[in-house]
Amino acid sequence: MIEIRLHGRGGQGAVTASRILATAAYEEGQYSQAIPMYGTERRGAPLTAFVRIDNQRVRERMLVHEPDISIVLDPLIAKQQAVVDSLKAGGIVLLNTALKPEEVKLGGDFKVATIDATTIALETLGRPITNTAILGAFVKITGALKLESIEKAIKKYFPGRLGDMNIAAVRKSYEAVKGPIQAVVKSAPKEEKMDLNVGGYGVLKDVSSWRVFTPEIDMDKCIGCKSCWIFCPETAIQWDEAKKKPSIEYRKCKGCGVCVNECPVKAIEMVRVEA
Amino acid sequence: MSYEVMVGNKAAATACKLARVQVASAFPITPQTTITEYLSEMYANGEWDFDFVNVEGELSSQVVVQGASRIGARVFTCTSGPGLLYMHHPMQTTGSGRLPVVMAVVHRGYKGMQPDHSDLMSQEWTGWGHWYVEHAQEVLDTILMAYKVAEDPRIRIPIAVGYDGYVLSYTAEPVEIPDQALVDEWLPKNKAIPEVLPDKVSPASFGRGFGGERDPQVPWKEHHDAILKIEEVHREVMDSFEKTFGRRYGNAMIEPYMMEDADVAIVAMGTIAGTCKAAVEKMQKEGKKVGLIKLRSYIPFPVKDFQEWGKKLDALAIVDRSICPGKGGPVYQRMRDTLYDLKEKDRPMTLQFHAGLGGKEVRIHDFEMIGDKTLKAVKSKKVEEPVTWV
Amino acid sequence: MKELSITPGSACQGCGAALAARLTFKALGPNVIRHGVPCCPDTVTATPQVGTVFEGGGALLTGTSRGLKAIGREDVLAVGFFGDGGTYDIGFQGLSAAAERNENILVITKDNEAYMNTGNQRSGATPKYAITSTNPVGPKSRGKGQPKKNIPFIFAAHYVPYVATASVAFPEDLIAKVNYAKTIKGFRMIIIQSPCPVGWRFEPEKTIEIARAGVQSGIWPLYEIQNGHDFKLNYKPKELKPVTEYLKPQARFRHMTEAEVAEVQEDTTSKWQSLLKSDEMKQVII
Repeated sequence: MIEIRLHGRGGQGAVTASRILATAAYEEGQYSQAIPMYGTERRGAPLTAFVRIDNQRVRERMLVHEPDISIVLDPLIAKQQAVVDSLKAGGIVLLNTALKPEEVKLGGDFKVATIDATTIALETLGRPITNTAILGAFVKITGALKLESIEKAIKKYFPGRLGDMNIAAVRKSYEAVKGPIQAVVKSAPKEEKMDLNVGGYGVLKDVSSWRVFTPEIDMDKCIGCKSCWIFCPETAIQWDEAKKKPSIEYRKCKGCGVCVNECPVKAIEMVRVEA
Repeated sequence: MSYEVMVGNKAAATACKLARVQVASAFPITPQTTITEYLSEMYANGEWDFDFVNVEGELSSQVVVQGASRIGARVFTCTSGPGLLYMHHPMQTTGSGRLPVVMAVVHRGYKGMQPDHSDLMSQEWTGWGHWYVEHAQEVLDTILMAYKVAEDPRIRIPIAVGYDGYVLSYTAEPVEIPDQALVDEWLPKNKAIPEVLPDKVSPASFGRGFGGERDPQVPWKEHHDAILKIEEVHREVMDSFEKTFGRRYGNAMIEPYMMEDADVAIVAMGTIAGTCKAAVEKMQKEGKKVGLIKLRSYIPFPVKDFQEWGKKLDALAIVDRSICPGKGGPVYQRMRDTLYDLKEKDRPMTLQFHAGLGGKEVRIHDFEMIGDKTLKAVKSKKVEEPVTWV
Repeated sequence: MKELSITPGSACQGCGAALAARLTFKALGPNVIRHGVPCCPDTVTATPQVGTVFEGGGALLTGTSRGLKAIGREDVLAVGFFGDGGTYDIGFQGLSAAAERNENILVITKDNEAYMNTGNQRSGATPKYAITSTNPVGPKSRGKGQPKKNIPFIFAAHYVPYVATASVAFPEDLIAKVNYAKTIKGFRMIIIQSPCPVGWRFEPEKTIEIARAGVQSGIWPLYEIQNGHDFKLNYKPKELKPVTEYLKPQARFRHMTEAEVAEVQEDTTSKWQSLLKSDEMKQVII
């Protein structure tokens, strides 16, 4: 049996990717199981999905706790050590990133493969949705499934021209994937692990991982109208009455962009978070 | 001490007054209806300081008392049959919320209007204490005791007190009314300070805990264990009730009747247990060694009591005034589970009887038949008919 | 006014309801007991919180209010913060009864026009033609086929002291209404339109822009009704913006034909005329 864990963001198709893998497995006479992480999905928030592939019907009904392969769809999440948590020794992590495998800082006993699936998706689909683009790379580095099975499965989820475009993305990543090579960093760095499965209710510690873009205020342009402060749903913007200026508390900022949109003088800019 | 010849429903309303209930809420349904009328009248006459909330349905009445109880008020609600089924959803939040709500269930089987125990029995899973009583005096006394047990800081579990509709709710009997001053002393105001007031709440409780690290089985175990503890406190409260008011009902969990000289026992709940008492007197005069163990507390079940009695008896005739369709009689099944671990030589025979479902009248000769059948089974060492519909 | 929101919370990016909660509780202050029933997480506030079954909002507020009276703490305000499910549909019966009894409670509804917490299913608050997962578009369906319930008028028809509509794009108006509601007794209700980027399908940055367009096009008018009789329209532009400004940015309306848009425009305009008349007379006929 092969056990796979996928990391993505709410609204970016990680669950669809898991279903495509499961469908592809069945196409070639294997059995499969695709598990979303149950609970309420929050748009933009990190989430996890799982897949099992086996040559007999999968009986166990539980989450994948020790994956053979970890697939990361989002380039920012790809920087989190947590994506290799509990990876079986000698397992593989496949990252959507522009970095080369030897540049990856994740540490432990596993192999690393990288593919810039975002660029491929932008080129072939016009949108940075990487859930299909990364599957070609998956096939190449693991050999777990045949490329044509993936393509058949994609046709089931995306009929017509959309299917063709997705298949083009798959083929590109199949050719372009780098690695896998043994992880350069041998042991896991000591850092506070980010929660990669956000759902439910309650207060969170830090939502920085939700941001693909970060707002930055140009204080010179700011006229002190307080619009950004009053409209922030997360109270991430503080208002300094003395200085008559706003400031952003980034751990509370989800990068929604409301402040940017509401600023009457366009003093706030959304800056892409570096991958 | 004063008395009044009153119907069972009036006894329930009178208990509310004596307990100085602060917020009551109910929706009328036969045969509970007159409780809502008594309480409304008592409110209008200013008989004591309380609020009666006329709601638009039973479900809301449960939520109203749940809310007021959370704030620290002493509350009361009541219903019957389908009304209880309608309340099922919030009953479990009252149970899980560990709120000391006391509810009178005026039995109405859910397949009709006449009494049987299907209404309360079908609420087994809501996490409450379930008590069953026999006559109007016991209605009044037991509701008072329910408050004392439910509000005990060791317990804090809601309690349903069930009594049969029509034959008890609408039949008048002389009822001794305890002295208000005595009740005030025995059942003082609920002192719990609600942590839900803004000046009392702990900031650590803001926002539910994230991540769900807690084992999800723990709340179930805690709730279950808390209900089992009711037995201990209930017995204490019965002792203290007798001391103050001069009456008691068995050991709280069960009320054995003429069991000193019995070889077999009929186990029954509610009004039919009263009829059974008369039948037992008659049978023992005729030399038939049949007694009654009236079951008062169904949840928690008097496991130890029945294991001890079981060892001493040849047979138990369990009379269930309800049946879970496709499953069977609840008391009978609980009893067999209770007796299973006894050594074979100690284990009594068990016979199941269904009587009174749909409100069917249960008479003295019915219990005589039950007694005879049970004695016959003991003599022949064989249970010919495990289940008899009386 | 102190911020009572404890953030960051678990709401989606750009959640209109999170802002609604922030503004509401900031105005209310801490001497409240917040009541919730199942709904989206919006934002946690530094207030005691009680909850119950989905259909129990009105009854729970009643129980709290009566309980507070019983223990001599009528200084504390029983506030409900419910979604449209808990107000328009499953929660309607209990709230209607509480209104009919004129319970001393404040009900705030964050209206995101569908059962969003369970994944965007249609509710009684979903407007006509909106797509939801239980009202998709296909040969047999054009999104929701029925209009949105007029909940403010329905509750006003219980002759309660105060019913008002509000919008997250008009924070001063919202706060003023909450502050007013705080000062009076009896059943009060404020319905706040809370745009949902995920369910209404727009980019999260546009939440306020869309809420504003809703008010300025007359689709979400801001008004107050007292005692089922006295009426005041709070925002009266010289000219309403066309409804397309509100509908176009939301993909839940993207399938609409010209004729359907015209129908919505006609309906909005005629309803607006009625409101203008009522405002002139300073009363509604209910």
